[in-house]
Amino acid sequence: MESSLLLQQIVNGIILGSVYSLIALGLTMIFGVMKISNFAHGDYSMVGAYVAVFLMAWLPGWLGWVGSILAAAAVVGVLGVVTERLVFRPLLTRWTDIDIIMVSIGLFILLENLAHLVFGATPRMLKDPFGGAVFDLGLFSTSQLRVFCLVFSCVAIAVLQLFLNRSRLGVAIRATSQNRFAAQLMGININTVYTLTFSLGAALAGVGGVLYGTLFAISPVMGAIPTQKAFVVTIMGGMGHMRGAILGGFILGVAETLGGNYLSMAYKNAIGFMILILVLLLRPSGLFGRRQ
Amino acid sequence: MDARSWRAIAPWAGLAALVVLPLVLRDRYLVHLLVMAGIFVILSSSWNLLAGYTGQLNLGHAAFYGIGAYTSALLAIKLGISPWLGLVLGGLVAACFGLLLGVPALRLSGPYLAITTIGFAEILRLVAMNWVDLTRGSLGLYGIPPLTPIPLPGGKSLTFTSEVSAYYVILVLCLLSLACCRRLVNSDFGISARSLRDDEMAAASVGIDVNAYKLAIFMLSAFFAGLAGAFFAHYQRLVSPDTLSTAETFTILTMVMLGGLGTLTGPVVGAVVLTFLAEGLRFVEDWVKMDVRLIIYGLLLILTILFMRGGMVGLFDRFRRPAAQPGRE
Repeated sequence: MESSLLLQQIVNGIILGSVYSLIALGLTMIFGVMKISNFAHGDYSMVGAYVAVFLMAWLPGWLGWVGSILAAAAVVGVLGVVTERLVFRPLLTRWTDIDIIMVSIGLFILLENLAHLVFGATPRMLKDPFGGAVFDLGLFSTSQLRVFCLVFSCVAIAVLQLFLNRSRLGVAIRATSQNRFAAQLMGININTVYTLTFSLGAALAGVGGVLYGTLFAISPVMGAIPTQKAFVVTIMGGMGHMRGAILGGFILGVAETLGGNYLSMAYKNAIGFMILILVLLLRPSGLFGRRQ
Repeated sequence: MDARSWRAIAPWAGLAALVVLPLVLRDRYLVHLLVMAGIFVILSSSWNLLAGYTGQLNLGHAAFYGIGAYTSALLAIKLGISPWLGLVLGGLVAACFGLLLGVPALRLSGPYLAITTIGFAEILRLVAMNWVDLTRGSLGLYGIPPLTPIPLPGGKSLTFTSEVSAYYVILVLCLLSLACCRRLVNSDFGISARSLRDDEMAAASVGIDVNAYKLAIFMLSAFFAGLAGAFFAHYQRLVSPDTLSTAETFTILTMVMLGGLGTLTGPVVGAVVLTFLAEGLRFVEDWVKMDVRLIIYGLLLILTILFMRGGMVGLFDRFRRPAAQPGRE
């Protein structure tokens, strides 16, 4: 019985972790390429989740799900371009860390409260197209919705890796991330790369937001939590490291679920920060980053 | 009168105006707003001390405010310690936590420091929420005694329950902490601190003990926030875990950026303007039937950083001395 509960918790942790990975990948990509630490990142997830809320009320069952995810990626991708152009791009030539972080905090306050104005304060839940069906494997069971959530995050992460490793644009993004000036010398238009990266990173958060909405309630103030988690995961994996962010997400998801169950539910949200402080003290370049 | 004698008189005239202000206003609510503005003057000035003069971005400043408030409130409720002593103790305990956070923060900068300090405040907020035996959790501590009356010769005593009396206390606290900031910034110590903000390695190479400076200012910044928190506890007589929230920190930093980061007057201007703007916006909200206050905060913060670097103080300086602005024809 005990070991089955443990297994159950680990499965839940992996599912949660896959969502963290997806959102953190967006953050770490944007940081890697543009050196922007965006404290409004989780609000892209919030917007994505609301896109799903409205589309699912509109489209039936499966169609609603697939439609929501595509629409969330599109809407948040466009929002990403708009915010990058209006808010971050003007600072690109003369920024300091303080300016970038401050302007993103301004964006966070703005988006959160605009959402409050438009969507109202009532928390909402996403519909389950499987009608709450459970997937039972004997040792553990989980809802089909959660399995879908896990499978979808993993597919999205794999597609992203393929895009970054195999396509011309993906290679351009990685090159800019490694060395901006060398990339420019090779004829890469880094302004296009910046816009594309920001939009893609935001879209990842948006899609992550839809999946996050299957696990937690959706509200205008929900954005702060994914932002915090994404930063913890990103720093754990080494800022700008893709693989670190993927692994970090799973580690955080499992650590939180186990900690929440065996240590204290009330301090579940503190677990990530404890890990963060430990990582920063012991391995400041991240668990998977290169030692400096 | 010539400019020099004006400059000599101006501070005293300003002080006199501040002293008679609540007597002229004669409106309890307006005086209450002045008291709140005073609390935010201390909070934003102390945050600015760290961010504006050493370049360290602490996004957990509200934690120190909350620590000061809880410390003084608990000491008064549980141990019956005088709130006056509590003001100092609240500041000192906050400074100890400042040391605790400041040591790991020495190795961090930019986003690393920002998220660590958010985490620090978040963990403390969770403690305040969940240690129900001590803090009464999300209900908050209530029934906190006000500042104790001071006996005057002749059998009377000076009480501190009214808004006007609280105004004079916070005025004194503001003036003390601002004087302290001013002396610090203009001293050799302050010059060294600024040098490490602008170029840490260069500062270290001329023999400035970078870590000692950062720690000292971290603790001092925490002390003043704790002091403001302790005063707030005995003024509001209710402390809840919300005092430690990130939203509180974000209000403080909006004030500083709006007023002018890295200047002495900026945080003061920002705190007063934003406190009264918030109240003005409440009327607008009643009128348009929408919650627009925080949307405007967010817009203000973004627009200030994009178009008004140096904040209102910077704008004023540019207006007054356009030629002195480098890089401008």
